[in-house]
Amino acid sequence: MNAFLQNCFAGLALGSTYALVALGFVVIYKSTGVINFAQGGLLALGAYLGYTFSNNLAVAFGVAILLACLTAAVVGAGFERIVLRRMVGQPPFAVIMITIGLLFIIEPIVTAIWGFENLQVTNPWNIRTVELGGLVFGVRDLWTIGITAAVVVAFFLFFRYSGFGLAMRATAFDPEAALAQGISAKKVYAVSWAIAAALAALAGVTLAAGPGGLSPSIGFIALAAFPAMILGGMDSPAGAVLGGVVIGLAEALTRGYQDQLFSWAGDNVSIIVPYLLMIVILLIRPYGLLGTRDVRRI
Amino acid sequence: MPHNRLSLAAVFAAIVLTVSACGGAGNSGGGGGSGNAGTPGSTTGFDGTTIKLGVLSPLSGAVAVIGQPLTAGNKVWFDHLNSTGGVAGKYKVELVQEDTQYKPDVTVQQYNKVKGSVVAFTQILGTAPTLAVLPQLRADKILAAPASLDALWVREDNLLPIGGPYQVQAINAVDHYLTDGGGSKDNKICTMIQDDVYGEAGQSGIDFAAKSYGFTVANTQKFKQGTENYAGQIQALAGAGCQMVFLVATPSDAGKIFGTAAQGRYAPKWYAQSPSYAGALAKSAVAPYMQASVLIISEGTEWGDSAVPGMTDMVARATKFAPSQQPDYYFSFGYNQGRAMTAVLEKAVSMGDLSRDGILNASKQLGTVTFDGLTGDYTYGAGADRKPPRSSTLFAIDPAKPFGLKTV
Amino acid sequence: MAKPHRNLTRAYAQDLRLFGSPLAKAGLAAMILVLLMLPMVVQDDFWLSVLIYVGITAVGAIGLNLLTGYCGQISLGHAFFIGAGAYCTAIVGGDLGLPLPLWLLAAAAVGAVLGGLIGPFALRLRGNYLAIVTLGLIFVGEHLWRNLKSVTGGNSGTSVNAAATIGPFDFGKVELAGEVYSRNQGYFWLVWALVALIALLAKNLVRTRPGRALQAVRDRDQAAEVIGVRAGRYKIGAFMVSSAIASVAGALFGSYQQFVSPDEWNLLLSIQYIAIVIVGGLGTIFGSILGAIFVGALPALIDRYSDAIPGVQTSVGGEGFISVFALNQAIFGVLIVLFLVLEPRGLAGIWLRVKTYFKAWPFSY
Repeated sequence: MNAFLQNCFAGLALGSTYALVALGFVVIYKSTGVINFAQGGLLALGAYLGYTFSNNLAVAFGVAILLACLTAAVVGAGFERIVLRRMVGQPPFAVIMITIGLLFIIEPIVTAIWGFENLQVTNPWNIRTVELGGLVFGVRDLWTIGITAAVVVAFFLFFRYSGFGLAMRATAFDPEAALAQGISAKKVYAVSWAIAAALAALAGVTLAAGPGGLSPSIGFIALAAFPAMILGGMDSPAGAVLGGVVIGLAEALTRGYQDQLFSWAGDNVSIIVPYLLMIVILLIRPYGLLGTRDVRRI
Repeated sequence: MPHNRLSLAAVFAAIVLTVSACGGAGNSGGGGGSGNAGTPGSTTGFDGTTIKLGVLSPLSGAVAVIGQPLTAGNKVWFDHLNSTGGVAGKYKVELVQEDTQYKPDVTVQQYNKVKGSVVAFTQILGTAPTLAVLPQLRADKILAAPASLDALWVREDNLLPIGGPYQVQAINAVDHYLTDGGGSKDNKICTMIQDDVYGEAGQSGIDFAAKSYGFTVANTQKFKQGTENYAGQIQALAGAGCQMVFLVATPSDAGKIFGTAAQGRYAPKWYAQSPSYAGALAKSAVAPYMQASVLIISEGTEWGDSAVPGMTDMVARATKFAPSQQPDYYFSFGYNQGRAMTAVLEKAVSMGDLSRDGILNASKQLGTVTFDGLTGDYTYGAGADRKPPRSSTLFAIDPAKPFGLKTV
Repeated sequence: MAKPHRNLTRAYAQDLRLFGSPLAKAGLAAMILVLLMLPMVVQDDFWLSVLIYVGITAVGAIGLNLLTGYCGQISLGHAFFIGAGAYCTAIVGGDLGLPLPLWLLAAAAVGAVLGGLIGPFALRLRGNYLAIVTLGLIFVGEHLWRNLKSVTGGNSGTSVNAAATIGPFDFGKVELAGEVYSRNQGYFWLVWALVALIALLAKNLVRTRPGRALQAVRDRDQAAEVIGVRAGRYKIGAFMVSSAIASVAGALFGSYQQFVSPDEWNLLLSIQYIAIVIVGGLGTIFGSILGAIFVGALPALIDRYSDAIPGVQTSVGGEGFISVFALNQAIFGVLIVLFLVLEPRGLAGIWLRVKTYFKAWPFSY
């Protein structure tokens, strides 16, 4: 029983990271209709920026996180302004490829500036653990879950009750009508990219503070957030969070019981469990658990 | 229209004539090579004054933390050799470095790219990359020095290994655990290995030890190089109650593995194979955990140990030719490779033949090469006759020492 | 009687003709000449091997262009089919020792079967969803390659000993008129002859009825259904044909490199192919080849002349802050962005514009 709970906790922690990244995906998709493949690159960039702020500039870790998120937000908004603005009206395929291009540009920049070695971010959590009732909780994991929960709540409050959140929802629903109401679509697009980049950076910094340390391959975790987004529904923020948690749990549980239950499926099956889940959900309910059904006109 | 057809035919005729006049085909052969004893003739990679040696190493990527210092070791050895005149006092050596990113397929591509301009390869880093290139080495009859310690290389004519093999390291590690390390045959001994030929080398050593000492390996966990999350494997080891774990990994993965184990409060006795360590680990957050639970099994001695003559020379030369080089046992490995390859080259020059066959012949007639105490003496010869060294050194982590290791 | 102007087409067959005008015929002759003569003139191993890899990439790109450019199905899973072809060759050509035509056809067959299995996904999903599912396919494929150790050698990879022989004629050791040709020269002829063959087959496919059906499905698949084009059949068919061609590319790759490992069939490879197809021009066969040459030769050029580029670190202790690999990746990303923003129709688009300009020359205004 202990092992099961331990695995569930690990799944929750992993799922929070996925939820943050998937939330970023959904924000961009909902307002601009673009799938941002560069989320992983922004995650890595945010993590390395956090490292620089925390180690090289010796700023307190909490402040470092904030600064990293802000810088990443500026990068995201800048990219949207400079490149994506020109791609309005192009087929979605082209826009996906441009975000992939961005990913390919961010990665070498990161390795050129910070190198390939495993870096250690100075942080107050490290590998400290807390023991409670026979279960061992990593301090970093607890903080990740806590921060994610806080961010998600803040996010929903912002979208529900604030003026600009309302403006973003309106633009996502019907850009023309929103324009008619005087809402600047340009501002909404820029802000949604900024939010998504900040979320990715947050996920990156909290991930880098873990036992694994920081290496350029940290961005690949964002690829596993695609299934989370699909599972929850590509235009549903609540779905993104739900999807992230479900995928995280599935992965952690498969990993924990790899030897006992899943050795027939090859080694380390937990790596592809998110994708298998995604394929299943796409065959049954293509628009995800909480997504809206796609209506197409000819 | 006849008008068009005629002109077309004329054009074709002209082309055919040019074709036959062109000729030009066939191999860019690498013939020649034999000269007199002491003055070999020009051949592939040797133009009469400079000998070119190939280096296939991960200069970028996660394993660059091994590749960079190792290549620096190669370079410093040859810089020193060139400063004293070169091979046999006459021929300078130039290194042709290519980045393989520790990927076997990229190694094959880079090998094909440079094989036409080098005499031999003084470094091919990685067990899987070396295995990938081996069939072509055999077909092209080129000699290469692998930066990997798999026992497979000992019996290969086309490879020039140095140091005690991984399998020997594994056996020596078990030996230590059962004698001085406080373990017994009834303890649960497990392995955690990289899921490729490199991991299998260590595993085969442990299996041999298991048969000789009469225990069984309780659990084996595998992982792909570059995995981010090791929680599953650590949990499995902890669940099986492993008290000693033999680790075969590369430094960045090892750091993550130790970190995950530390966070999960799982502390068996770790014996880690030499490529699992890098100096940065001794300064990281897992250093206290490593100090308590990890032993590194390798060869040679501590950096800067003045009791060993070769070490004093090497440190002096490193300071002279690569002043920014930090203490690193991968550096000394590369340095030793340079020494072994120089022995082969000098033999080949004395036999007057630096062609591919000449180098292979020289390696077969090499005899014993000593490394001034930096690593064990190696008796070379034809593959079947070689005798590698069989001793290992155990290191514990000590952040105060250069490179963070102290001999146990 | 005055001849009609060269641009006046008076019959449908004339419109469809591949090399109609005298200029096109001369171009064809020139291309055949280059194909035959190049290995004799350029004997440098490095450039020949670059061109061979470019040719193999061109084959794969033609397959992807059929699927994505002509049929509009976004597939990020191309690398999976290429890998399947390589492993099929390792078994059929290597272990079983069968000659070239057999292992090529076996690879194509395996690719077609796999494409037929994946194709039905396209019936249910479109656009972004299909892209992400094919992304998942790559990871599932990677898992398979790493775990089917008897076939693929697991993480360490496996050597491929497929000999390129047709009867007594071996492309690896060509002997003509007393001259012995190196492996690279023989393989150059094999690969580029296959490029020509497959380009011809693909072009024939797209300029006839199936091609028009594919393009109808791309533009508006529901409307196509309305006019009688069975969208499902053509989508699955596009997947099968494209995967078969991709597997042929993989077979050539495995046979040439003589070693393959699961690391190679990753997302990066798929994205490279998509970039090639975009840079070359979506929806053109010629564009696939142009894109392959452009995107394939550029990293090789950078690699070869990396010493001359400032800021690139080529050896240990050398100056520079960026490795050749990282520079290649960055340039690749910039290329994708630039082409998509400035020239969405790709290199083929530029070529067509130039051609159109000169068609009405000197009255092109």
